Amino acid sequence: MSQGHPLLKLEPLIWFLFGQGIMIGSILMTGWLLVVGVLAPLGIIPPEALGYERAHMLASNPIGRFILLGILALPLWKGAHHVRHFFIDRGYAAHDATIGGLAYLVATLGSIVSLVAVIRL
Amino acid sequence: MPATKAAHPEAMAPAVNGPTRTAPPMQPSSWKTSPRMKQYSRFGLTGWIYLLASFAAIYIVYGLGSGPEAYAQVQALLANPLVIAFHLLCLISVGFVLVRFFGLFPKAQPARIGPAKPPPQPVLKAMLYGLWAGATLVLSVILAGGIF
Amino acid sequence: MTTRRKFVVTRFDPDKDEVPKTQEYEIECQDDWKVLDAINFIKDEVDSTISHRWSCRMAVCGSCGMMVDGEPKLTCKTALDSYGDTVEIEPLANFPVVKDLVVELEGFMGKFQQVKPWIMNAKEEAEKKAASTMKEGTYRQSAEELMAFKQFSMCINCMLCYSACPVVSNEPDFLGPAAIALGHRYNMDTRDGGQDERNQIFREEGTVFSCSYANECSEVCPKGVDPAAAVNQAKFNAVIDWATGLVVSRPAPQGDE
Repeated sequence: MSQGHPLLKLEPLIWFLFGQGIMIGSILMTGWLLVVGVLAPLGIIPPEALGYERAHMLASNPIGRFILLGILALPLWKGAHHVRHFFIDRGYAAHDATIGGLAYLVATLGSIVSLVAVIRL
Repeated sequence: MPATKAAHPEAMAPAVNGPTRTAPPMQPSSWKTSPRMKQYSRFGLTGWIYLLASFAAIYIVYGLGSGPEAYAQVQALLANPLVIAFHLLCLISVGFVLVRFFGLFPKAQPARIGPAKPPPQPVLKAMLYGLWAGATLVLSVILAGGIF
Repeated sequence: MTTRRKFVVTRFDPDKDEVPKTQEYEIECQDDWKVLDAINFIKDEVDSTISHRWSCRMAVCGSCGMMVDGEPKLTCKTALDSYGDTVEIEPLANFPVVKDLVVELEGFMGKFQQVKPWIMNAKEEAEKKAASTMKEGTYRQSAEELMAFKQFSMCINCMLCYSACPVVSNEPDFLGPAAIALGHRYNMDTRDGGQDERNQIFREEGTVFSCSYANECSEVCPKGVDPAAAVNQAKFNAVIDWATGLVVSRPAPQGDE
């Protein structure tokens, strides 16, 4: 985006969140996707493991909430940053302030919803 | 002329134009076929997958927090073959992202940050893969009912 | 031994041509020729109107960068025998073209100047160090301190990295690999006291965060500078500098000596 744009002031923070989204987000997402996304629905693990009672017990544990927040929110920042670059790489750099702003807005709103989802468990 | 894509018309433009007319900047013609650039493109595309994976996770956790009936609906949706395929795609993307990231991360550490020095690059890489394997194992075992 | 090869060369004369076009030259090439030898032969023996930059012939001056079969190369360092019967020669990608294979350099020079590539506040830094190490006088530096930045000082300004970078291609304000690597070289030099100023430039002008870590710059660099490492190290330092700046107030930059 052009120099002097207000979003520029936040770029260090955005990049840091993007970096953590890649690292911590991806690392946590692996186990989540493997079990919750693939093994459990395929019936490869016993159904009680992620039945309502146990799942709720794990998730509402303070450490569980914290880890869930990482799984829900961090990948959003990796995603938003790359979606923004997706458009820049295809020649839409002139609209970067708008596209970037929109992408990070989605990430911010998603992070807030993630927090709400984790709190109301 | 090879059908090359134009770069941004102002790419590498001088502050003041020279005395003669210049031809506009062009992108490298190899970008359309280069295997490295295709990998880079795929890396960028995973951004969309990460957003969707996050939305799915938010939906799941929201359902969990909405009581047993809502959660049962979530579980029914998760069992849909298309949804399982989607999560498998997310899993492959995450693996692809981390392998590329672990390859590039070690050299991005400055030689020193204040008084602190990062470990040598091969050690750092091994630590990262170890962290990934360890965290995945622990989380998977917990989720699958192995402990707690 | 010779091989007959066809060279498809981009031609552009601003006085005569609306847009660049190609011209083909078929010549007998010695088996040990580099691409530059072929282009020089074409200019000397076939078509003296062709314009191109070159100088040292040994990959230290950085003048002879061109696109060979679509990839940025130092033509004095690129052997012809790794190419086929037809070789495409174009001016460096992502640069405005002045004539034929000669590109406009001033944009590149401007980006260099932006990062203030000189030792700043050297006297203050030396005094600070003298106070802690009891050694006055010359700006002393250990071998380990040198190794922190030496690799990034090996840049020959050949601009191949700019031709390879997708962000340079799409974002005109981006400082680019060589300029950021050079600024980072000074930031990591213990004799320099300009980190605050340069990190502010890195965060606010042509920002380092625009880099998407394609790593293409390091793939094409002929001198092993690894500008991608420099740019991404610079991102780290810029974040730490930004975070520190939120908590600690800094005096306004004093400018350079």
